[in-house]
Amino acid sequence: MNALSKLVAVEAKLFLREPVSLFFVFALPLGLMLVFGLPQRGADPGAATGQHGEQTFLPSIALSLTIGMLALFTLPMALGIYRERKVLRRLATTPVSPALLLIAQVVVNLVMGVAGAVVTALGVRLLLDQPAPANVAGFVVAFLLGVACLFAIGLLIAALAPSARSAQSIGPTLFFPLLFLAGAWLPRDQMPTVLARIGEYSPLGATVDTISAAWAGQNPAVPQLLVLAGTAVVGCLLAARLFRWE
Amino acid sequence: MPVIEVEHLHKRYGDKVAVDDVSFTVEQGEIFGVLGRNGAGKTTTVECVQGLRRADRGTVRVLGLDPVRDRTEVRQRVGAQLQESQLPDKLRVREALDLYRSFYRNRADIDELLTDLGLAEQRNTAFHKLSGGQKQRLSVALALVGRPEIAVLDELTTGLDPKGRRDTWDLVERIRDRGVTVVLVTHFMAEAERLCDRLALIDAGRVVAIDTPSGLMSRVDAEHRVHFRPLDEFDDAVLSVLPEVGSVRRDGDEVTVTGPEEVLQAVLSTLAEQKIRYSGLRVEQPTLDDAFVSLTGHPGTPSDGRSS
Repeated sequence: MNALSKLVAVEAKLFLREPVSLFFVFALPLGLMLVFGLPQRGADPGAATGQHGEQTFLPSIALSLTIGMLALFTLPMALGIYRERKVLRRLATTPVSPALLLIAQVVVNLVMGVAGAVVTALGVRLLLDQPAPANVAGFVVAFLLGVACLFAIGLLIAALAPSARSAQSIGPTLFFPLLFLAGAWLPRDQMPTVLARIGEYSPLGATVDTISAAWAGQNPAVPQLLVLAGTAVVGCLLAARLFRWE
Repeated sequence: MPVIEVEHLHKRYGDKVAVDDVSFTVEQGEIFGVLGRNGAGKTTTVECVQGLRRADRGTVRVLGLDPVRDRTEVRQRVGAQLQESQLPDKLRVREALDLYRSFYRNRADIDELLTDLGLAEQRNTAFHKLSGGQKQRLSVALALVGRPEIAVLDELTTGLDPKGRRDTWDLVERIRDRGVTVVLVTHFMAEAERLCDRLALIDAGRVVAIDTPSGLMSRVDAEHRVHFRPLDEFDDAVLSVLPEVGSVRRDGDEVTVTGPEEVLQAVLSTLAEQKIRYSGLRVEQPTLDDAFVSLTGHPGTPSDGRSS
């Protein structure tokens, strides 16, 4: 086995040994959906209106939550710890580049994100009796761009945070405003126009909207997809530039 | 044939000079010590040897290669143990070795390595459940898993208890017996004295001396001290008149006589001639600590010191 596949296998094992990250990825989104979704089950879909009234809002925000937790909590934490414990530096003394460990981390978090998404989608279908994503191609594109955008932000946090501990606090500090902008608490249709506009193109807002649209069978909005892609590219470039190995 | 050649190495961080002018060669199969106080420039020196840092001036050759330009080849053949480097908490011993082994062309047998390093019973133990000594041995095992020709061991025994330290010393000797050249970075005099075939004494970024441990000690005319408890009364003058004796001091019932290396012989024969019986004979020879102080003009290093 070559070094990268070995690293991915080891990182995956380590991920699965961490109950907290498993909870974030699999239990939390599903739990939230059931808590908020079950009471509405069988309710007249026309009764509620606005962002929160859309049938696909809840599963979309649950999915975005999974991605966000992985990207903003577990990824920067893991990389911060690896830098602090000199794991990256240790790797630099071997013939293998420490960049491979970063790649392995991203791959593992990505795979876990996809696994979390499948579990959430199945949960929606089976437990809440709601339809599976209708526009599958659009759904995949929206999901992957959302992942790319949020992971890029996570990598940037990992690059900038002076310590694992500060990475641990920057993640949530950023995550909750992003959730707010996405309309998690106050529906965006009830926000002031400017704020709603910002929310629409914020990383989590755009992710929720495009996933939600595809879930309902529509085409995700192209400007929002472009913003996600653009943020991903800029974030990755900055992270690569600013990343400290020790 | 030297396996490592360092010539006029100079490295600065900003305007702080870490290594001013360091030159030495390491011969194949020896344990070469890089000894100095914390902050003397030892770690920076070996980091340049490993190609982790680029020298500002001077040349470094490892196995005839440039560690920066030929980094991949050098890293295939040089194993490293870094000061205070850790592994993920939940990574198990065998998994760590299996992972690092996959990075190398020449791969050591993991079970053999685990047995050699006394980690066979910990093969499935997670990193955070290992003791300090076990972590250190795992770190050494990782440095050896690619069957290196040279092993660089940085502050190997810092933080270990005396037993762990002694076990680790045995381990370093076994590594050398496998034919691996060892570069040992340390600030422990006792460690350098016990293990090194030759050592470079570094102070403030410069090489103060390169010699064998006993060669270094003989450069210093520090005094030998003979302690004993006389069982018969005697006049100090019978000893203090001897040409080999520097001073005679009484502290309670113990007598301490100082002088050059020959002082022991002189004291013992005089005591025998005068039929003075004694007990509790102890001899203190000058240590590398004394050599260090004398060569650098600084007091020795604290034995519980941390990174450099």
